[in-house]
Amino acid sequence: MTHLLRGELIKTVTTRTALAFALGGIAFTVLNVLMITKASGTLDDLHEKEEALSGLPILLLLWGLVGAAGEYKHRTAAPAALVARHGRATALMARIAAYALTALLIGGLMIAISVGLALPLLADHPGTPLTAGGVTAIAASDLAAFVLSAIMGAAIGALVRNPVAGVVILLIVNFAVIPLIAGSHESLANLTPFGAAGVLARMTHDTTLSVAAAGWVLLAWTAAFVAVAFVSEQRRDLA
Amino acid sequence: MTHQGTAAIAVEGLTKSYGGTPAVTDLTFTARAGAVTGFFGPNGAGKTTALKVIVGLAKATTGRVLVNGTPVERTRPDARTLGVAIEPCGAHPGRTGRAHLTSLAALAGLPRRRVAEVLELVELDRAAGRRVGAYSMGMRQRLGLAAALLGDPAILVLDEPANGLDPQGIRWLRALVREHAAAGGTVLLSSHLLSEAAHTVDDLVVIDRGRLLHAGPLSALDPATSLEDLFFDLTERSAP
Repeated sequence: MTHLLRGELIKTVTTRTALAFALGGIAFTVLNVLMITKASGTLDDLHEKEEALSGLPILLLLWGLVGAAGEYKHRTAAPAALVARHGRATALMARIAAYALTALLIGGLMIAISVGLALPLLADHPGTPLTAGGVTAIAASDLAAFVLSAIMGAAIGALVRNPVAGVVILLIVNFAVIPLIAGSHESLANLTPFGAAGVLARMTHDTTLSVAAAGWVLLAWTAAFVAVAFVSEQRRDLA
Repeated sequence: MTHQGTAAIAVEGLTKSYGGTPAVTDLTFTARAGAVTGFFGPNGAGKTTALKVIVGLAKATTGRVLVNGTPVERTRPDARTLGVAIEPCGAHPGRTGRAHLTSLAALAGLPRRRVAEVLELVELDRAAGRRVGAYSMGMRQRLGLAAALLGDPAILVLDEPANGLDPQGIRWLRALVREHAAAGGTVLLSSHLLSEAAHTVDDLVVIDRGRLLHAGPLSALDPATSLEDLFFDLTERSAP
């Protein structure tokens, strides 16, 4: 199994896609910290300060989706399956694990930058300051949201098999469908994968869902998508 | 290598349909060890579809494929047993040729030195650091062949391997497959280049509209009949 993970990791880091997502993640992180700390007025509430450290899990979801769906678009999934010495489900598991590991690295970098940049800027704001324990908890939940989102993205990518279609569907759901649901039933919107990821990554603080519960909801969605992707991978033709 | 003369690949009553439309119908033939089997048919005859089922990338609707006596869906995919080059070469255009082969070698559990060896074998070592998107068709073909040869397998399944190759490349390919068969290996290759294939293959399989038209050794043909004559005779007779 380690040889499969090594092969999949080589694939994830030997195109420019990983670099593009890492740079995009860094740019968003810097922008988010500056917007929250410099352009959102006084942050005297602890939850408002937490938002300066929030991440963007959809970016890592897109990373997994674009990468995994690209395996079918560029037909790289077929030669990989032909040499894997394991069944397709195991090969897909290795691919998903590779995206989770790279999400850990990209997400870790984003968190390091947001903490390093935001903490000095937040010191200028009045009210209760963030504690070391609080910052660690935010970083941990951000990282969990990133990794679970990447895993879910890779599973969706293996199901959709077309990066463009996958991204379009995802953006429509995230920016049109979920806000519509949230407009009338916020509690229901928080139970969607995007809603739960947003709560877990501290993008929203006026919520009907606790951070821990959001983690479980996102985990359940991720497990469901991965299970469906495994079944689909074994049943469908690879080329 | 498989024992010379035995059927390394046996296709039995293979039918493959997409949405109820058959691409291959009741196809039966064998590819024996120690021989090069040419798989011929006009465009859209179902050659690539059949090859995808034979190597396990697609599932048969009915019928079965045996590789070394085992149904292909029950075999563990292994670069040491079966080397496959089916168009396109299956390499990400943004990845270098070397990175593509390195990832496959890692996935297959093969030593990294095999990458350098096969790159040299297909004469792609000098272009290995370039992105696949910048490769010519012939270079992509060589990369696909390098991937097929990575595990030094006994069975090679090659889909139109001569496409895009220059005359030197075609001669090199002919020598490669002949040497492989001479060493007891099995080669199943599809081709449009009938005159070239006549110098390369031992056995013939001709299909059209997904159905078998002819299977047998090249040596059984009337010496006055060329492969090209046979192909046109068979395919024109099968036309509706």
